[in-house]
Amino acid sequence: MHSSLRHFFNRFAPTAPVCAGVRPSTKHYSLFILLTISGAHAQNDTIRKAKPLDEVVITGQYSKQSVDKSVYQVKVISRADIDRQAGNNLADLLNQQLNINIIPSASSGKSSVRLFGLDAQYFKILIDNIPVINDEGLGNNTDLTQINLDDVQQIEIVEGSMGVEYGANAISGIINIITKKSGKSKWEITPFIQEETVGDEYSLMKRGRHIQSLKIGHNINSRLYANAMVTTNYFKGFLDDRQGKDHLYNDGQRGYRWLPKDQVNAKAFLGYNLDNHAFFYKFEFFDESTDFYSQNVQENPQPQTGTIHPVTFDDNTFISTRYFHHFNATGKFSFMDYDISTSFQQQERNVETFKYRIGERQKYDVEKTEYESREGFHSRGNFSNFLKNETIDFQVGYEISEITGHLSYLTGVLFDGSLEKRLGSYDAFASTEINFTKRFSLRPGARVMFSSQFDTQAALSLSSRYDLGKGYQLRAVVGTAPRIPNYEELYTYFVDVNHDSQGNPNLKPEQGTSVSLFLNKTFASQSGALFRTSLNGFFLDVRDRIEQITYTNDEGKLAFTFDNIDLFRTYGGTLTTGFQYRNWSGNAGVTVSGTSKVLDILSASEQADDYLVAMQYNANLSHTLAKTGTIFSAYLKYTGPQYQFIQVPSTGEIVKGRQNEFTWLDASIMQPFLNRTLELTIGARNLLDITQVNTSTDGGGTHTAASSSVMLGYGRSYFMKLRYRLNF
Amino acid sequence: MKAKIYSVLLLLAVLLPGCEPEDNVEALPFVAGFERESYKYSDDAPQEITLVFSKPAEAAGTIQLKVTPDQSVYGVDFSTTPEAVDNLIALDFTVGQSRVSFTYHNLMLPYDDADLVKKVQFEVVRVDYAGFSNIQGYTLTQMTFSASLGAILVSEVGGPNQGNQVFVDLSEEMTTESRRDIWDLGFYGGDHFRVTINGSIYMAARNLNVTDIDAVTPASVSGFQSQVAVGTFDPENENYIDAPNGNILETAIDEISANDEDNKVYLVNLGYKVGNTIPPAGSVAITGDARGWKKIRILREGEGYRLQYANLNSTTHQEISIPKDAAYNFTFFSFDTNQPVLVEPEKAKWDLCFTVFTNVIAGAGSYGYSDFVLNNLRAGVKVYRVNVSEPTVTFANFTKANVNDALLQDDQRVIGADWRDVFSGTAYADRFYVLKDIDGNYYKIRMLGFLSEGGERGYPKFEYKLLP
Repeated sequence: MHSSLRHFFNRFAPTAPVCAGVRPSTKHYSLFILLTISGAHAQNDTIRKAKPLDEVVITGQYSKQSVDKSVYQVKVISRADIDRQAGNNLADLLNQQLNINIIPSASSGKSSVRLFGLDAQYFKILIDNIPVINDEGLGNNTDLTQINLDDVQQIEIVEGSMGVEYGANAISGIINIITKKSGKSKWEITPFIQEETVGDEYSLMKRGRHIQSLKIGHNINSRLYANAMVTTNYFKGFLDDRQGKDHLYNDGQRGYRWLPKDQVNAKAFLGYNLDNHAFFYKFEFFDESTDFYSQNVQENPQPQTGTIHPVTFDDNTFISTRYFHHFNATGKFSFMDYDISTSFQQQERNVETFKYRIGERQKYDVEKTEYESREGFHSRGNFSNFLKNETIDFQVGYEISEITGHLSYLTGVLFDGSLEKRLGSYDAFASTEINFTKRFSLRPGARVMFSSQFDTQAALSLSSRYDLGKGYQLRAVVGTAPRIPNYEELYTYFVDVNHDSQGNPNLKPEQGTSVSLFLNKTFASQSGALFRTSLNGFFLDVRDRIEQITYTNDEGKLAFTFDNIDLFRTYGGTLTTGFQYRNWSGNAGVTVSGTSKVLDILSASEQADDYLVAMQYNANLSHTLAKTGTIFSAYLKYTGPQYQFIQVPSTGEIVKGRQNEFTWLDASIMQPFLNRTLELTIGARNLLDITQVNTSTDGGGTHTAASSSVMLGYGRSYFMKLRYRLNF
Repeated sequence: MKAKIYSVLLLLAVLLPGCEPEDNVEALPFVAGFERESYKYSDDAPQEITLVFSKPAEAAGTIQLKVTPDQSVYGVDFSTTPEAVDNLIALDFTVGQSRVSFTYHNLMLPYDDADLVKKVQFEVVRVDYAGFSNIQGYTLTQMTFSASLGAILVSEVGGPNQGNQVFVDLSEEMTTESRRDIWDLGFYGGDHFRVTINGSIYMAARNLNVTDIDAVTPASVSGFQSQVAVGTFDPENENYIDAPNGNILETAIDEISANDEDNKVYLVNLGYKVGNTIPPAGSVAITGDARGWKKIRILREGEGYRLQYANLNSTTHQEISIPKDAAYNFTFFSFDTNQPVLVEPEKAKWDLCFTVFTNVIAGAGSYGYSDFVLNNLRAGVKVYRVNVSEPTVTFANFTKANVNDALLQDDQRVIGADWRDVFSGTAYADRFYVLKDIDGNYYKIRMLGFLSEGGERGYPKFEYKLLP
């Protein structure tokens, strides 16, 4: 009983390391005292002491659990890590994570995640355990730049299929963002500003990146806590060799390399804690506008006057708006613990298309249209601790969602008109955790997924943890999850005299399976150095992969549709090590993977049945000066050459495309002032000045893969963040 | 504590952005230029001559034109309103005005052959304007009896459905529109006995190797129907369309023989009606409903043709005689009206045709193209392309001395669809064309664009100039 109560409290404690640090042996902390103490520690921790390696996680747990005891291998990015990188959104941060690649689109302004070679459709992003909506899905296809981190306590990452825990589309892994839900003072007022260059471009208004934020937290009484924050993030785009929106000529120089976008984020939280029950309501409003300025200029030469009258026809502004309401009730009865979340979420992407007379700087024919949206309801409940037994526990739960999607022809999926589709998902899941001995525990689980549109799907998992002693620990995790076909695959319709490209409404979900094996070793030397090393082998397989196929239609024409034909497979290994010694701490890791993508498995072609090997390594180091409290940090990640099979359009031949290697290097210095109320962070991102990387992985020429370059960054950039904490 | 708060607020205030000046945009000059470079004064009506401005006038001003008579005399052969003083005409304009004009009066009526050499030239010599102005563009215009010196034309192909074929006579500065789905077959008026099918609506025809038209049934042709179409991506289907290069000896339908037994029945795919949907701006909607199928057989009848035709399920057929007309490339016939129909102007009276077109893509067979431009190869109009190479070869500095007759192509598709980039919605500025008409005039032609002010497809605009 006491242990579960503690878990329950820990859930709301502000920072993970602390909870581990103050793991109570005394059993009579009141909530208030716990919060106060842990809060105080939190501050000291991030500044004075190096971060303890022992962390507490929520993802995939029945209740909050130390990383060591978790049956899943959970990676944690702490608040301190986020601060040292001045991370304002997820895209700022994930660049440094092993196995994860960020795919920025300089043309749409979106950044999405790729893990194990699978794109963002296979990866789920959650906030406080529930999937967060975006205009293309619930939890999937998330634009990382739209996930603000200013109220985040820590980020948890689990690689591998998590279908039992988190449902469909959690094939390559999940990110669970845990937000702060308490404050230590009666009032906490935290304004900050952050100024960044975008490459070497910066000015106070028109160039660079400008962030301003204000957060206010208030303990209304010992049971009621509220906070609210607002952040604006103005990214003014990256010009590089472009000339901006008022360039007159059709010479390819108009517009931006990296689209300008302005974001406003407002959040509010209200928490109410009883002795055995707690409730919260969380609200978020997000608004973003991204400006796209076409490279194509209609010069409209008027020979009579020898002048041009340049106009553009394809300029547009994308306006995304998200509303997020999350109600949560957590607590315990004598017969069980419960955790129920219900959310209403909506994200809409509208597009304002307009024409622009450049010389006159005059917009005309302005039209606002819905581009794509998702809205709906999601609810999830976990029920556990029925047996009050140390050896065996089980959890049952449900997860349901009703999501309505809206799609206009502007997305390019439809020739004209628009489409509205509703998808209901009704899942039930159960698992049991058996602690055979103190050293060995096993957790089998299953989820069944009913849906308004697809055949009933199932996900299975089996996780185990074995403590070998002497600091060695072995974990094996097997999981499965399906991926629901997307709108493009289901509903594409583009038919005219020369074309026939259609979606396939009869597609089946793809089936993902992952197996991971971890050997962890924790080692503490007598001198006080602490090491934790983890060796991991993984296997991930996606069957019934959906690919575009060609066939001859009834009229004898070449036509395109989608079918479940391919197989995707990744094997790999990762070695990571973290250390902590006096005022130094750091991590290093290396991962090697081989990916095979069997194209067109029906014709059993062996053409692409070959493994594509990829390598990444990362390292980070942090040092705290005891006297001044200054923290120096550096983060490095190398991504080796990436290969991809591509089909040469003219011959149908399969060739290997290659994207060159690149390295991200970031560094920062954080200095507290005025008794730590004022904190200045200065740093540099992308010190190695990466912008474009050569690739031959997209499209191709006649006999070879085409060579082009992909834009990964906007070059070496500098930032300065000044944060003030007013607590009273 | 308060001091701290103030210090932070102060810091924020200092750091928060102030006002910055707008980025500089290159200024475009105010210019007044003649709307046309030449006017033909063959009729007696007063001719209004207009100068257009590069932008609406932001201040009042005056334009001075110099009048230069060539073998003609002011007040005897012609006059103007307002009147010229010392061979200068002053035209005032006010704020907001975007054009200004004057009237030319022809006084040589009735004119005789001796008058044909008479010309008058007007030239912009001075612009009094408060803002940034310049004299450039069409600074001259000429009144003449001879061929057009050039013009800027927008072909009325009919917007994004591109419902019209537009025939352009450069020397007369004249365009003629004809809806592209009003005809099915064209009977050649020249030396050969040839019949063309309407590629602008994606028709296709296949030789059935039988001579009894009434014996052909839907069942006997159903096996061919999937192939006898445009855009199947099967290279074989090139056999079912007329050779896109315009060679009259390579039509889908074989030469009509004097020997009736050699003239086979053809299965004809009638293509598509003109589309009637409104596509997103920048796109086209070329095709409407499918027009169905016919079976046809064509025989010679004296120096003309005899057409037999019927629906596929018919056991009888209709017949019509179609005589040759040497003044035209083709005599056109419509299955909708069962009548010959006028489409093209006489063959000597057009140089370019703007139309939807059935072309071929190497290896992929026939493919439907919008925005196509054909030259009247069958009448002998030929074209070649010139690539701009700054600063030596430009549209502006290209003269008759630069023309190379050997480069003229035996192909009607020289301009084709290669003049425009559909993805960017712009005309390529790196090329222009040289055209030789059947009277031996040479023109240089450059394409300017194909979108309307609202960004809709189907408004091809081009400029041409006589190379004197």
